[in-house]
Amino acid sequence: MVKSVSRREFLNLLGATGGTAAALRAGTALNLLPASASAAALDLLNLGSNRRKIAILGGGISGLTVAYELNKQGYDCTVLEASHRCGGRVLTLRHGDLIDEIGNRQYCEFDDEPHMYFNAGAARIPSTHRNLLSYCKKLNVELEVFINENKTSFVQDDNMLGGKPIRNIDYTTNMRGFMAELMAKAMSNEALDAPFTESEGETLLGMIRSFGDLSEDYLYTGSFRAGYAKGGFLKHGVQKDMIAFRDLLKSRLGRQVMGANEGDTGPILMQPVGGMDRIIAGFLHHVGDQVKYRAMVTSVQVTDNGVNVAYDQDGVRHNLSADYCFNCIPTHLMVGIEHNFPSDYVKAMKYVRRGEAYKAAFQAKRRFWEDMDAYGGISWSNTKSRQLWYPTHGIHKAKGILLGAYDYGGGMYHTVMSQDERIESHIADHEKIHPNFRELVEKPVTIGWHRMNHMLGCSARWSRNFGQGWSHEEESLYHTLQAPVNGRHFFIGDQISMHSAWQESAVMSAQWALNHMDAQVRVELA
Amino acid sequence: MQISVPLKAFHKIWLLGIRVFALVAASYLGLSALAVAAEKESYNDRYCTTCHGTDGRGNEGIEAPRLAGMEEWYLRRQLENFRAGIRGYHPMDTAGIAMRPMAKLTDESITDIVDWVGGWDYEPTEITIEGNAQTGESLYGVCATCHGIDAKGNAAIGAPSLAGQNDWYLATQLINFIAGHRGRHEDDVYGQQMAAMVDTLTDESDVRDVVAYINSLEPR
Repeated sequence: MVKSVSRREFLNLLGATGGTAAALRAGTALNLLPASASAAALDLLNLGSNRRKIAILGGGISGLTVAYELNKQGYDCTVLEASHRCGGRVLTLRHGDLIDEIGNRQYCEFDDEPHMYFNAGAARIPSTHRNLLSYCKKLNVELEVFINENKTSFVQDDNMLGGKPIRNIDYTTNMRGFMAELMAKAMSNEALDAPFTESEGETLLGMIRSFGDLSEDYLYTGSFRAGYAKGGFLKHGVQKDMIAFRDLLKSRLGRQVMGANEGDTGPILMQPVGGMDRIIAGFLHHVGDQVKYRAMVTSVQVTDNGVNVAYDQDGVRHNLSADYCFNCIPTHLMVGIEHNFPSDYVKAMKYVRRGEAYKAAFQAKRRFWEDMDAYGGISWSNTKSRQLWYPTHGIHKAKGILLGAYDYGGGMYHTVMSQDERIESHIADHEKIHPNFRELVEKPVTIGWHRMNHMLGCSARWSRNFGQGWSHEEESLYHTLQAPVNGRHFFIGDQISMHSAWQESAVMSAQWALNHMDAQVRVELA
Repeated sequence: MQISVPLKAFHKIWLLGIRVFALVAASYLGLSALAVAAEKESYNDRYCTTCHGTDGRGNEGIEAPRLAGMEEWYLRRQLENFRAGIRGYHPMDTAGIAMRPMAKLTDESITDIVDWVGGWDYEPTEITIEGNAQTGESLYGVCATCHGIDAKGNAAIGAPSLAGQNDWYLATQLINFIAGHRGRHEDDVYGQQMAAMVDTLTDESDVRDVVAYINSLEPR
C-alpha cells in the first residue's frame, strides 16, 4: 500500500538519509525554519537616584551575568563566592593553579606560557549560543575557532581490527560508503520509491551516491576521500583498501564518531584565546570589586521585602541585607544551608542529582600529533578515558596541553580512583593509540567534578529517565525552582535550565531572572 | 703533630665556611619557600560544611549527616575509620565511599577538625521519616543496651548518641549494617559490635519504626 508523503515526513526521510545538513538545506528551501536572529538585548530599567541592594550567591557565569547587568543600571551588588576564585565550572588551569578537589588537591605544574592551559570545565562555545557570544563581544573576549572533529585523529576499539587505531577519515569514509550503498538499495524498494516523483527520486539517489561516494552502479568500492595509500601530489594517488563493513561494526564508537558534528557540537565551535576563563576575567574587569572571596553562605532568609544573607569569611559571620537575591549555589549544597524556603521549593532542590563529569589533562613534551597530520580534534576510543583532545591553540609551538580523559556521564569510574591510578589508567588507555604516550607526556592534572570543593558535582541532572526525557513531575519541580520565592529570591545557573552543562544556559537563566525582577522593580518605582 | 695545626685551622675555616654557606642557603631557601607560598593559592582542610551544611546541620541533598552535636570521640573514630578504609569500603555504601577521600587528612588536621566541629551547637532536625513509634519503642529495647534508654549514647562502650541525628541518615546506616555494607571490616571493632545487634530488625518497616521512635526522643 502506497501512501503519499507529507512535507514533514519528507523532511524526516531526508534527515534520515542525507544527515542534518541535508534536512537543514531542504527545510530552509521550504521556509519551515525560523530566520536567524541576534540575541535579544536585555532592556533593564536604570535605577537613577533610587537604591537597590542585590545579593548574588556564587560567582559563576550566571552570578557574574547578574552582577554585570545590574551594576550598569545602578544597583548595589555584592557577590559572595565560597572558593578562592570566580568562574565555578568555567575553570582554566595554568602554571601554579590550585585544583581544589577534596581528597586530591593538586597544583598545576604546566609550563608557564600563554598557550599552556587546560579548560577543565566549559571548553566549547557553539556559534548558536548567541547570548554568551554577545557577552564575549561586549567584554572584548577574543575568540578563535575550536577544532572539534578532525578527520586525521584516531578511532580505536579493542574489538575492531585487533585494536589497531585507524584514522577518523578511514572510519567515516568507509562507514558512509556502506551506509549509502544500503540506502541506494532501499531506494529500489517500490514502497519507498513510490511517494517520490521521478525527479525527486533522482535527486535523492544522487545525494545518496554523493554522500557515500558510490560508483555508477551505486556500490561502494572505496574512496579517495579517505586520502591516498601513496602518491596524490606529484604522482597519481593510489586508493586505500576498503575496510570491511563487518569489521567496522565490531565497534560501537560510530555513535560518537559519526555524531561529533551534530547537535550541540554541530555549529561552528569557538574558544576564547588564552582560556575559557577570559570570559570570567571580562566580567570581573567590570564587577571584580563587588566580589567577596572565600565567603561561604550560611543562611538565606527571605522576608516580605528582601532577603537576609549570612556568610562566613575569615572566621567571622557577616550579615548582608538585600532587596533581591540571585542564587547560583548548587541546589544539592543549598539544601544544607540554613534557609526558610517553602517546602515545595525544598522538595525540588532535593530532587536534582549531581553530575559526575570527569576530565584529565597532560602536558605533552612535544606536539607529536602534529607530526601525524593531526591539528586539533578528538581521538575516540572505547576505553574508560574515552577521549583524547589535541589542542587547537598553540599550533607549531614546542609543547601543548592534551585533554587525556573526558567522561561526561560516567565520571565516577575515575573519580573513585587515587591520583596515581587515574593517571596510570589514562596512560594505558592512550598507549593503544600512541604507543609511546607514556614517554611523551608529563605533569598530569585530573578533575573529578563530583568532589571539587564548593561544587561537589558537575552540571545538575534533572531527568532520571535518561534518554526518555523529562517526566511531568520533573518539569513541575523545575518550574517551582525557577519561580522566585516571594518575588525576592531567584535560583539561577545552568541548574535552572533544561539544558544544563552549557554556559549559554547559565546566562539565559540569569537573564530570565533579571527580566522578572526588572518588571517588579518597575512596578515598585512607578 | 705538626700537621695537625694547619689541619685544625683549615678545619675551623672549613666549618665556618659551611656555616656561612648554610646560613646563606637557608635564608635563600627560606625566602624562596615563602615566595612560593605567597604565589600559590592556599587551602585548609576545614571543608566539612561544604557537604555537611551550615554549622554541620546535615544535608540530605548530598547524603551528608549532621555533625553538630556529634561526640568528639565519635567524630575522630569515624574520620580515622574512613581514612583507613574501615568504613566506606562496600560498593553499595555510596555515601560512605564519597566520604573516604574527604578523610585523607593528617592527624593534625583530624584534631583540628574535631576541635572545630565539636564546638558546633546542636539545632533541631527536620523529620523526614514516618513510622510507628510504638512498635519502634519495643524494637528499640535492644538498642537501649548500648545507646541508652534516652538514645544519648554511651562513650564508655563506644556507642554514639542517636537522638536528634538526621532520621534519613539513621535509616541508611541501619540498612547498611543489616545488609553488611557497614561493620563487616575485620578492623572495625565497634562496627562489628553494631552489626551483631541489628538481627532484630527484619525489614525496612522495622527500620522506619525504630527511627520514628528515636525521632520522638528529646535530642539533647
